[in-house]
Amino acid sequence: MLARGLLAAAATVFVGAVGVAQIRQEPDRWWNPGEGRIFPATLDYQNENGTLRLLLDGGPLKTEGHPFFTASGPNGRACVTCHQPADAMSLSAESARRQWDRNGARDPLFAASDGSNCPSLPQAERASHSLLIDHGLIRIARHWPPRDLGGKPIKPDFRIDVVRDPSTCNTDPRYGLTSATPMLSVFRRPRPVANFKYIEAMGFAYDPKAGMPLQVDPETGKPVSGNLMADGRVPTLAAQMRDAASAHLGFLKQMDAQDIARILDFERRLYVAQQQDRTGGAVDADGAIGGPRTLQVSQPGRLGSDGGAPVWSEFEAWEKVPEATKAKWSPEVRKFRESVARGARVFREKTFLISDTAGINSPIGFGNPVRNSCVFCHNMSYMGMDVAPGQVDLGTTNQPFADPAPHLPLFRVTCLGKPHPHYGRTILTSDPGYALTTGRCADVGRITLQTMRGLSARAPYFSNGSARDLRGVIDYYERRYTIGYSEQEKQDLVNLMRAL
Amino acid sequence: MIRGAFLSLLAFAPAVEDSVKPLRFVACPVYRDTDNGRKSGCWLTSDPATGVRYDVTAAPTKPDWNHAILVEGKLSADATDHCGGRVLEPVRVSVLEGACTRHLLPAEGYKGRRFALPERNVRPLYQARKQQQKPFVEGRFTIPFDYRSSFISYQISDYYLDATINYALDVQPAVIEIAGTAQTRPAMVSGVRLAEDAALARSRAEVVRKALILRGIPAQRVRIVERLPGPFVAAAFDGLNSPVDRRVDIRIRPE
Repeated sequence: MLARGLLAAAATVFVGAVGVAQIRQEPDRWWNPGEGRIFPATLDYQNENGTLRLLLDGGPLKTEGHPFFTASGPNGRACVTCHQPADAMSLSAESARRQWDRNGARDPLFAASDGSNCPSLPQAERASHSLLIDHGLIRIARHWPPRDLGGKPIKPDFRIDVVRDPSTCNTDPRYGLTSATPMLSVFRRPRPVANFKYIEAMGFAYDPKAGMPLQVDPETGKPVSGNLMADGRVPTLAAQMRDAASAHLGFLKQMDAQDIARILDFERRLYVAQQQDRTGGAVDADGAIGGPRTLQVSQPGRLGSDGGAPVWSEFEAWEKVPEATKAKWSPEVRKFRESVARGARVFREKTFLISDTAGINSPIGFGNPVRNSCVFCHNMSYMGMDVAPGQVDLGTTNQPFADPAPHLPLFRVTCLGKPHPHYGRTILTSDPGYALTTGRCADVGRITLQTMRGLSARAPYFSNGSARDLRGVIDYYERRYTIGYSEQEKQDLVNLMRAL
Repeated sequence: MIRGAFLSLLAFAPAVEDSVKPLRFVACPVYRDTDNGRKSGCWLTSDPATGVRYDVTAAPTKPDWNHAILVEGKLSADATDHCGGRVLEPVRVSVLEGACTRHLLPAEGYKGRRFALPERNVRPLYQARKQQQKPFVEGRFTIPFDYRSSFISYQISDYYLDATINYALDVQPAVIEIAGTAQTRPAMVSGVRLAEDAALARSRAEVVRKALILRGIPAQRVRIVERLPGPFVAAAFDGLNSPVDRRVDIRIRPE
């Protein structure tokens, strides 16, 4: 409640093209398609925990007529609709709620195709959009059986049945699993479109989780990072754009090469991170190097344990500065900064047993279980992405590990060949994840690791939004892996994540 | 460095000395939770024929506590007991489909071993790689596999695959021949009949072929053959005989 009040009252600081801060009559937090605002080189937004900063390499961008910001399809949406600057280029559930309260179903965000629980529902009703409004989830419709990149059907090694369908879309005669063109609807959070220098980086030429070299972009013949889409359904940003244009934006024709190039140029120049904490102050003060500037100038794809900066060592200085410097900090600032620095160490050093997690404990060869820390997977310097990309099943969508989610569909997967290495022959899941791309039972629930930047601006978390806040993320991991975090460690990790 | 690594790969068979009697058995694994940093836990298992408990932690691919394992190894000359079992090294572990009751032992005073990066690890792309220099010679490579698996395992199969691919990339154009092998001769091990399907030889070869193509080798230059004459790279097996039949051999002939 307090947070909502703070957000509503917060002033957006709009910083000019040459970096000179000036307070203006700020535009609305929400970017509507076609507004024609200038996207400045530095753009700040207040959130519950402080200030998010977006940095655009190469100076301001005129958004008028720019394809990222311009609606080209009949539903009135542009890329910016679901990738809002104030939400770290993702979409917070808070923003979705605000748009519903303002505009109801008229807002392009609530387009029937994926901004509602199912297009066949009465679109004027709030209940028809509950997954987006209450959980920040967009409908993702996948062909069943899956198709490869060339559109050829893949023969899956599992059968899938609908157990529960509160969205009504999986049992819908037109959009469901038994329709003329069988589709399966899952509901996911939009992924942030920024910091792509890191997301697209490849630390190795191999995906150890697949036991193969990285996927190759059929358009360029070059290998591509596996850190892009939640279910790895397309290998590149350009392919993602085409996928989004038809699935989410309702474009009636393909994006042309020039539009794609302009969007790519924008996305690849954009860096996003929390810049200021409301308690701890600037995250790049007194020797720390948090914030988006470090992302802008650092090398991507470095393994924090082998050649790169240790993951989240950006905050090491706050632990090591002389006592005389710390003495100048207020008690609140000191407490927060020391907590963030401890959180970074806990993230790197606190080991626990990781078990029954496809993509880690199978099929790579690490063993089941294996002792390691958060940086086992979140290993890329400055970003916490996976340098060896690929998909992992944390259990957030699969029973018995997933939290109860009566609002989500539930599917029963029956493996027809070899049983799943950890779940056996039958799996209950709200989102089969990567298995919807590969058709493999062993991939059920595997989902691509998410970026950890700008977290304060884009709750809820995990692909299905199952963690309402940052504490929810820690609590999930604690339950899933029986880690044994102390209360202090949990708070330190929360403080670390809110400063990213 | 790469050249050095390549030369070490060319330690051709027969280099396998059976100075210590090799062990081969099927059993359930037990995990001992020795917390000595990341990847420091111990893997133990007992040979059902003798009841002797062995430490198989040194295996490049580790067990799954829900499944039986095929153990192939030799007693280590180093008798130090870090985990609560007689150390097998070199050793290979293959995860089988047979179910096991998972069991975790506490450390009980054992320290385990601190993890050290194994020598067989693929180096990151951002590290400069020394390329092969002309004149190019014929390259021979071997990729080992676990029992009933065509999966390229981390820090063992991928290391040898990476060496193969890098060599192929350096000497292009080249003719590349791939021959897969499967362990088809049946054997009774711990009362379990072990034999690989003959089709697995082809599957393994296909995996390697696909990997080469994915990394940019023209498909028309990669050919799967029945078998390749001459020696395989024995270093991939660390002196163990029984895993030798589960492999892919590659010959790269520069043009």
